[in-house]
Amino acid sequence: MATVMKTTREVKGVGLAIPRADGAEKVTGKTEYVADLKPKGMLHAKLLRSPHAHARIKRIDVSKAKALPGVRAVIVAADIPGLKKKAPTRAHAVLAIDRVVFVGQPVAAVAADEPAIAEEACDLIQVDYEVLPAAVDPLGAMQVGAPPVAEAGTEADTSEALAHSGVAAAKSEAKPSKAVNISQQAKINRGDLAKAFAESDVVIEKTYRIPMVHQGYLEPHAALAQWDQQGQLTLWSSTQGSFNTRSEVADILGLEENQIKVIPMECGGGFGGKIRALCEPITAVLAKATGRPVRYVMTRREELDAGNPAPQVIIKLKTGVKRDGTLMALDADTIIESGAFSGAVLTMSAVFIASVYKFPNFEVRGFEVLTHKPSIAAYRAPTAPHTFFAIDSQMELMAQALGVDSVEFRMRHLMQEGDPMANGQKWQSNGAKQVLARIAEHPLWKNRKAWSAQSGKNGRGLCGTGLAVGGWIPGLQPTGATVRLNPDGSLTVLTGQVDIAGTNIALAQIAASAYGLDLDKVKITTGDTDVAPMTGLSAGSKTIYTVGTAVLEAAKDARKQTLQIAAAEMEAAIEDLEIEDGRVVVRGVPDKGVTLASIGKKGNLYMSKVPPVLGVSHPAFAVQAPAFAAELAKIEIDPDTGETKIHDFVVVQDAGKAINPLGVEGQMQGGAVQSIGIALTEGMMYDKNGRLMNPSLLDYRKLTAADLPNIETIIVEVPAPAGPFGARGVGEPPIVPAPAALANAVHDATGVRLTELPLSPERIALAIAAR
Amino acid sequence: MAKTVLSCTVNGEAVEILVQPYDTLLDILREELRLTGPKEGCGTGDCGACTIHLDGKPVTSCLVLGMQARGRSVTTIEGLAKTGALHPLQDAFVRHGVPQCGFCIPGALMAAASVLAEHPKPTEEEIRYGIAGNLCRCTGYTKMIAAIAEAAQAPATGRA
Amino acid sequence: MRRFELATPDSVDACVKTLAQRGPDAKLLAGGTDLLPQLKNHLLKPAYVVDLSGLKELRVIDGDAKRGFRIGAAVSAREIEEHAGLRAAFPGLSESGALVGSIQVRNLATLGGNICNAAPSADMAPSLVALEAEAVVAGPKGRRRVPMGDFFTGVRKTVLGPDELLIEFVVPARPARSGGSYIRHTPRRELDIAVVGVASEITLNNGVCGKARIVLAAVATTPVRATAAEQALEGQPLNAQTIERAAELAVQAARPIDDQRGSADFRRHLVKVLTRRTLTVALERAGRSGGS
Repeated sequence: MATVMKTTREVKGVGLAIPRADGAEKVTGKTEYVADLKPKGMLHAKLLRSPHAHARIKRIDVSKAKALPGVRAVIVAADIPGLKKKAPTRAHAVLAIDRVVFVGQPVAAVAADEPAIAEEACDLIQVDYEVLPAAVDPLGAMQVGAPPVAEAGTEADTSEALAHSGVAAAKSEAKPSKAVNISQQAKINRGDLAKAFAESDVVIEKTYRIPMVHQGYLEPHAALAQWDQQGQLTLWSSTQGSFNTRSEVADILGLEENQIKVIPMECGGGFGGKIRALCEPITAVLAKATGRPVRYVMTRREELDAGNPAPQVIIKLKTGVKRDGTLMALDADTIIESGAFSGAVLTMSAVFIASVYKFPNFEVRGFEVLTHKPSIAAYRAPTAPHTFFAIDSQMELMAQALGVDSVEFRMRHLMQEGDPMANGQKWQSNGAKQVLARIAEHPLWKNRKAWSAQSGKNGRGLCGTGLAVGGWIPGLQPTGATVRLNPDGSLTVLTGQVDIAGTNIALAQIAASAYGLDLDKVKITTGDTDVAPMTGLSAGSKTIYTVGTAVLEAAKDARKQTLQIAAAEMEAAIEDLEIEDGRVVVRGVPDKGVTLASIGKKGNLYMSKVPPVLGVSHPAFAVQAPAFAAELAKIEIDPDTGETKIHDFVVVQDAGKAINPLGVEGQMQGGAVQSIGIALTEGMMYDKNGRLMNPSLLDYRKLTAADLPNIETIIVEVPAPAGPFGARGVGEPPIVPAPAALANAVHDATGVRLTELPLSPERIALAIAAR
Repeated sequence: MAKTVLSCTVNGEAVEILVQPYDTLLDILREELRLTGPKEGCGTGDCGACTIHLDGKPVTSCLVLGMQARGRSVTTIEGLAKTGALHPLQDAFVRHGVPQCGFCIPGALMAAASVLAEHPKPTEEEIRYGIAGNLCRCTGYTKMIAAIAEAAQAPATGRA
Repeated sequence: MRRFELATPDSVDACVKTLAQRGPDAKLLAGGTDLLPQLKNHLLKPAYVVDLSGLKELRVIDGDAKRGFRIGAAVSAREIEEHAGLRAAFPGLSESGALVGSIQVRNLATLGGNICNAAPSADMAPSLVALEAEAVVAGPKGRRRVPMGDFFTGVRKTVLGPDELLIEFVVPARPARSGGSYIRHTPRRELDIAVVGVASEITLNNGVCGKARIVLAAVATTPVRATAAEQALEGQPLNAQTIERAAELAVQAARPIDDQRGSADFRRHLVKVLTRRTLTVALERAGRSGGS
């Protein structure tokens, strides 16, 4: 296990703001993604997808499609042996068997010489559907008598929740109630709620609603599959976890894991949307059927129609507070729409909402609801932006009702280390108060009254400022790493960790610092599932915390082995040795020593008695490190059109220890802009038949450079006791606070409190007009 | 379907290849010429990941049929700088830590090169509008803007 | 996309001949910024596509404020945006071109394509109608002219027959003391499509409004003139009150629907706001535009 480094050894790399090593490759277009691969004989795949949200499949006729020249295979469910009738997860439903449960569900698959031919073949497949009533809105779907989504007896899938964060389940139960579409429930409570509300002076009740949003990675899902003569499957995949993909594909297709090699290609963005298998199983099936490599790249339309977006969340929140500011009571329903298959991170929302601010009496009821829509997956801090949108807005409303400063009100009630969470777990050390204090010191916050005083003057619109605090409890997952000393005195670090966030450079910095080498002598290799040590998902803000720890320990192990070999050779005591400038020397006697290269060479020499230096670490983890961020927006609203212009935006984040500040800033800025998108422009819109009304990037609006100001970043460091060099995960916290910060800013500017996202110009303009 | 000959110039070199009439320029660059720098992020001109220069102007190549490039000149990210050297924009992107997943980068650089060709000393607003057609989900654009502004200071800029 | 055959005529005559043979099964391709997405989304599956990039005549742009302008159908939105003479003579039309998509899209998208695709939200259409431009159309029987006010017949429908080709637009010169403007509302600054767009063109005459044309986009099946608003202005001085009155009257011409880009209520609200804003800008430009 990692400990905070206590050493006089000079830190060689940790804390330096260094560009990623793969920068030159990326700016010259040399980096390879799945769609860039084109092995000989490769075929193109297309899927035929259901036009109905809920229907029975009466008949599929593929004869005309098969007859089209250039078509090499047409597959339906009947052609896939071992397909489970009751698919336990969405990925198991490779092709629909006799029922479709969301618009866009794959019904048939084609492999052809050209994509255009594959598309034409899909046109020629005849499917007879019997359309059934669909459950489209989660509030309706929760009711008794709603059209049922799951096959009776399908288990709730809590694997996503467990993979993402270790927050102990608040008694998450899988038993369906009489309302058949409630697939998971949770309830936590403490104290006497009725009494507490009765004693409250101010009771505020609001419903917060956040639509489904797409993770929005620029690279659509893609997979390339090829079988060899021995029945070994190789999968090149755009994935956040090669070992996870391997396990899923093995289970889905009934293969041994050793039969599959997953080669993680550069991932063009994942953000939680590329954790679960999606394209890999069907691509593998087509490759088997044709005996040729098959490549399947989703179109953007398919991604939006039938990807695995973030869930819609509806939070009914009622809070009670006394006139003197004492928090009394919190009552909440958190309803998470999971789409057609269970898999929401239900407990995080339920626990967070009553854990961040100290309510002595609370009851939170969580529901996962199935609907006839594509099933959901994680998106950077899943359910946290939604949950903090609700609780932070509510804290602000209470502060305003009481006439107290909203920062002081938050600070007064914010939890700290040792306080109990809603599920009884104790909060670990965290920087929530520090980031809040730091952002409140920012001139934009201090001068907010001067800004709002400009409303309506000199051609200005309505001016306001808002802030919010939010965070995440990063997950844990066992992992492994090796550190090898090469015959030239350089190091090679091997992990299986997909580098989606630039973590490789940070891992190199950690290895360099721990071993005692300069950074340019360290190479990080990401191995495929055949060669790399087992590792977990690149998700849950845990790569540096876990893999960084493994690399740290493996580097220390390699250092120890190196010093042992040198000590024997130099007849010195290990405690007296140092590694400096590529040599092992006796402290204080720098001109005598042995080079690392000589030790490395000896470990690979014919007849040598010196073993090769191979540092190994394969840890599991128990201690989490919560990570918090605070965000502030200074805005101006056009009162007639409702357009919001963000003049300034600030992110303050506790990184524990910024291993690579350049990388950390990038995560903060990217996450903040995703957060602003959720707040202002994004949302998947479905019609009453469960059809997506905005399946293109024209109408699914991600923010452009012209919509944004520079995102100012301030890194705070509250060391995580168990993090490598004190580091915490940084990927997820920045996506959390902006919806609340912007709703607070809109309220400040206009007097209007919006509780439904996005805060679109229409919502703002019509609310202003109705004031 | 019969293929036809497409003759054009790509990254300064004359090219003659057989193409299908319904192939887009993006498809042909990537699949036939194996210039995989330009990416398909959406196929409908809404993300900019496929941005190349057509007769010196930035366009979304997913919306251009290959045959529409006949007799014209195409420049992709692979042709932005001479082999071995980085264009000042590419160098600035690397040093500022711009590329994260990297998928938007080739298109963004081609758009940025056009911004500098049109505005040798661009304001922040000119840069932002100049790359507004390039969606990026990883970076939030801030470092990209800073890198472009810095590259504008470098001597040999203005070369598209 | 499905497979199709491609014709690459090198003259208007050759193109018209091709359309005479293939017309009903063929789609014309200029910039491709509307056609290709429609092909990829399977909204259209033509057997033939006729590429217009070989027709130089369609890319001519010629004129000035005194003579008016001839703008070829294949002139790009980017050229409309950047052409200095056009911007000076018809700023409303020029700024409408500047709003289409992104720079990359504007380098491909054409004026003719925007018009012939005939989406109700087409940004360059309202100004052409307000400027009383005419479309020049070539067909088997020769050329004809169609006033822009008559060009659109429904959602994605125009008066063009399957054997006809749009050649150019003729935008007549306006008298001195004329000004125009186009403003639209979109949720994002770029890469977006109008929720509502309004073009205003006015001419001042002895201190009062001589002529007013107000054309609305995205609030009906075609671009629609707000004739009640126009009539309320003509002959009246142009000030905040008369402009506000006109803005209110413009709402009457709108027949918006609820869709995923906006509700009918919001669109009506925006018609009033944007009419007021475009008239204000058009008035200011008219005041500056020389003459007595």
